[in-house]
Amino acid sequence: MHPPAKLKLDDHELESRRRFFALGPDDLARLGALRPFAEEHTDGIIDAFYEMLLAHPETRKFFPDETTVRRVKKMQREYFLGIFGGVCDRAYAEHRARVGSTHEHIAMAPKWYLGAYRRYLELLHERLYAHFADPVEANLAYQSAQKLVYFDMSIAIDTYIAANLDALRRHQAAIRELSTPVIRVHDRVLLLPLVGTIDSGRAHQIMETVLTRVTDEQAKVIILDIAGVPVVDTKVAQHLLQTTAAVKLVGARTILTGISAQVARTIVQLGVDISAMDTVSRLQDGIELALAHVGKAITAKGA
Amino acid sequence: MAKGSIPILRVGPNLLVTVHIDLHDVVAEAFQEDVLTELEKRRAPGLVIDISGLDIVDTYVARILSETGRMARLMGTETVVVGMRPDVAATLIRMGYTMEGVNTALNVDDGIETLASIAARRRTP
Repeated sequence: MHPPAKLKLDDHELESRRRFFALGPDDLARLGALRPFAEEHTDGIIDAFYEMLLAHPETRKFFPDETTVRRVKKMQREYFLGIFGGVCDRAYAEHRARVGSTHEHIAMAPKWYLGAYRRYLELLHERLYAHFADPVEANLAYQSAQKLVYFDMSIAIDTYIAANLDALRRHQAAIRELSTPVIRVHDRVLLLPLVGTIDSGRAHQIMETVLTRVTDEQAKVIILDIAGVPVVDTKVAQHLLQTTAAVKLVGARTILTGISAQVARTIVQLGVDISAMDTVSRLQDGIELALAHVGKAITAKGA
Repeated sequence: MAKGSIPILRVGPNLLVTVHIDLHDVVAEAFQEDVLTELEKRRAPGLVIDISGLDIVDTYVARILSETGRMARLMGTETVVVGMRPDVAATLIRMGYTMEGVNTALNVDDGIETLASIAARRRTP
C-alpha cells in the first residue's frame, strides 16, 4: 500500500477554507458548548447512522462482520465528538484528512460517503430541534454543525482526489519507464528500441535516460533503434540529433538503426541533416558496428 | 583563487588536468593559461581534462574548455574532455552548445585510449 497522498493543509489553506465555509469562532464556540449534548446523543445517532449503512446492500459490503461494525462505530464516535470540540485547527484538519484517506483506501466511493453525511445531518437536525426549546437556537446550532461538516467533506473529497492524482502520477512514471527500456547488449554496448510516437516530453525523457544509463554503465556505444517509431518529423529528428550530440559530450557515441523507407524519405524531403549520426539500416548491422567500436566482432563458427 | 591552483599531472606522454573547483572568470582564465604554458613546456601530444567533479558547467566554462582545446590543437596537442555528467551534457545541448575542437570520453582511461588511437591514426597517413 502506498502512503496516503499528502494534502497541503497549512494555516493559510485552512484559514481560506474556514472563511469560504463561513466558519467563524462563534460557530466553533457554539459547537464546543454543545459537547454535553453530543455525548448524550452519540450512541443513538451512531446506531441510527449504521442502521442505514447496513440496510443498503452496497454499503453493507464494507462492514462484513460484527467486529468491524464495533470498530468503525468506535471511530465514528470519535469523529462525531470531534465536531463538538470547539476547534478547527491543523490537527483537526489532519484528522479529517486521515478519515478521508481511510475511506479512500477501503475504496468507498464518494457517493456513499456523501450520502452517509446526509443521514448524519438529518439525525443531528432531529436531535437539535428536540434539544432546544427555541427553534431559532436550534437552527443556529444546526447551521454551525453544517458548516463544519461541509468543511470536513471538502477535506475528505480533496483526499480522494489527491489519492487518485497520486495513482495517476505513479502510472505515468511506470509508463515513462517502460517507454525507454535500455538494454545492455554487450560490455559497454547499450540498445534502446524506441516504439510508438515520440513527442517532446518523451524525447526529453529519452535523452535523460540515455545519458544516465550511458554514464552509469560507462557504455561506449548506444544503439537507438527507431524501427517502431511510425512518424519521424523534423521535431523528432531534431530530438534524435540532440540526444546524439549530448551522448557525444559525455564521451560515447550513438548509432541509429531501423530507418524505414518512409522515414528516410521524410528526413530527406524535410531537409533534415542527420549526417552527424551513424546510421545503418538494420539493427543487426548496428550491433556489429557497435561491437567494432568496443573492439569485438561476431564471427561464424569454425570460419 | 591564485594561479596554479589546478594541478597538471603527467601521464605517460600526455597531460592530465582534473578540474574539481568551479571554473569562473579569473580561475577559468588562469586555468587556460596554466595549461597552455605547461603544453608549451612539455610539448605533450595529448591533454585529458577530467570534469567529472563539476556539477555545473555553464556556456562560459564550456567555451573556455573548447577554446583551450582549439588552442592546444594549434600547438599540436589533441584534447579529450572526460567525465561530463549527464545533466551537464543535457543542459549544454539544450542551450545549443556542442563543444567544438575537443574530443570526449567517458573517463580518464578511455580518454587516454582515445589519444592513443588518434596518435596511431596520425602515424599511418
